Amino acid sequence: MATSLRLYLTCIRNTLEAAMCLQNFPCQEVERHNKPEVELKTSPELLLNPVVICRNEAEKCLIETSINSLRISLKVKQADELENILTKKFLRFLSMRAEAFQVLRRKPVQGYDISFLITNYHCEDMHKHKLIDFIVQFMEDIDKEISELKMSVNTRGRLVATEFLKQFV
Amino acid sequence: MAAIAVHQLAQSITCHAWSPDHSMVAVCPNNNEVHIYRLLQDKWEKMHVLQKHDQIVSGVDWSARSNRIVTASHDRNSYVWNLEGSEWVPTLVILRLNRAALCVQWSPKENKFAVGSGAKTVCVCYYEQENNWWVSKLIRKRHDSSVTSVAWHPNNILLATASTDGKCRVFSTFIKGVDPKDSRTGPSSDSKFGEQIVQLDLSFSWSFGVKWSPSGNTLAYVGHNSMIYFVDDVGPSPLAQNVAFRDLPLRDVIFVSERLVIGVGFDCNPMVFGADERGIWSFLRFLERKRTSSGPKYGSQFSEAFGKLYGQSKHGVGNDGIEPSRSRGGVHENFINCVVPLRESGKSTATRFSTSGMDGKVVIWDLENQTDLSDYL
Repeated sequence: MATSLRLYLTCIRNTLEAAMCLQNFPCQEVERHNKPEVELKTSPELLLNPVVICRNEAEKCLIETSINSLRISLKVKQADELENILTKKFLRFLSMRAEAFQVLRRKPVQGYDISFLITNYHCEDMHKHKLIDFIVQFMEDIDKEISELKMSVNTRGRLVATEFLKQFV
Repeated sequence: MAAIAVHQLAQSITCHAWSPDHSMVAVCPNNNEVHIYRLLQDKWEKMHVLQKHDQIVSGVDWSARSNRIVTASHDRNSYVWNLEGSEWVPTLVILRLNRAALCVQWSPKENKFAVGSGAKTVCVCYYEQENNWWVSKLIRKRHDSSVTSVAWHPNNILLATASTDGKCRVFSTFIKGVDPKDSRTGPSSDSKFGEQIVQLDLSFSWSFGVKWSPSGNTLAYVGHNSMIYFVDDVGPSPLAQNVAFRDLPLRDVIFVSERLVIGVGFDCNPMVFGADERGIWSFLRFLERKRTSSGPKYGSQFSEAFGKLYGQSKHGVGNDGIEPSRSRGGVHENFINCVVPLRESGKSTATRFSTSGMDGKVVIWDLENQTDLSDYL
């Protein structure tokens, strides 16, 4: 793995480690409700400053924290049109199955490709370090996955073209 | 080893409280019930289940002399439980809140209790003999956000609150007919109910876990920016000290003695703070010493490089990814949100205390054999 990716992921891991200090906190605005404050943003004093970690223009990560929830949004590297379309389709496929991932959000934050929402309930049920490992692993794998998909699309394209052009030989 | 007993009582625990003789413990297993356990032949047996709330119980306190339990819950209600025969009988307290109750504490004389709430108010409740119910008086319009913690001064009048607006405030809670006239001493003299004695604006982030020292001379509270604040001479001209530490923020503190404070929080390991002869507070150490992280991480660089090389040649692709973070290997596996002193009657220092956290464990700690801390006791 390239050193810059490693540094990027270590930075995200350390930020998440510090940011994932979540606790149960009932809503101040609506009676008998308990909602992730980072989504509602009704009380500005319950939000912390958001952090953006950039590797380059194409790859960045936004971490927004509140008293009882944490939102991580990722922008995945898209070098060309094909990667763009593959990323879009692949992440849409994942987002549609958000329930199975628990921490995945159905819709990404504007300007990003995929968002995770971690609440205090996730931190109660799961180990914090495992949750962070999951996010970092996901980021590590997504690039690999996309380039593999790209490769197989290209291979397939080449095969189809060869087969098609054979009839003219 | 500072931890002398570890009890796994539930999946996760939001708060706990001990009976006056420390033989029973009331825990809230992160739902709408409170379970009371008793130690019978080295085994915890569930004696009672207090079932009346319909949302998660956020606070529980067991009075030392009158043997009553008060609970507060996110369902905006609070109950006072009296042991009648073998049953705990609840009495509803009309808090007049329209948001969740977040914390509760009995006053030292046990004739009042305070409830902090998400409605940005504090309720002080007292018993009214003629009506046979608990009446609540509200301190309004002072807090700009939820009240996360309340603490009573030993004089039974002053009440300190910590709030998510980052401030710590001290109020007078003198109630005519409940508190004797001569009990108003010190900075609280001739102040009415709800009067603000002082507002401490030290923290830039949310504040939690406010506590008074046993004598009531020092006030400690924590901020979410990994700071702990100590305030002396609470009154018109308070003296404050800020102590920053490099680890994750704290949630709650207790005073073991006038010069020793234990803080618990997101680092899953109690932290010890002490004041030297001049009264300067500093972070001393973690209570649990063994930390597994510093083992192989600082191994020789050569072996690390060799391992990398070997790994690459073996698997074709580099496996020098970020090493997965490990659990801390301490007694608590998830964050600690509650610490309760196990004070023996007649003693001002509490060398024993218990912590509970989101990992569902109640851990009892003893500072008796910690030689480096004995100077501070």
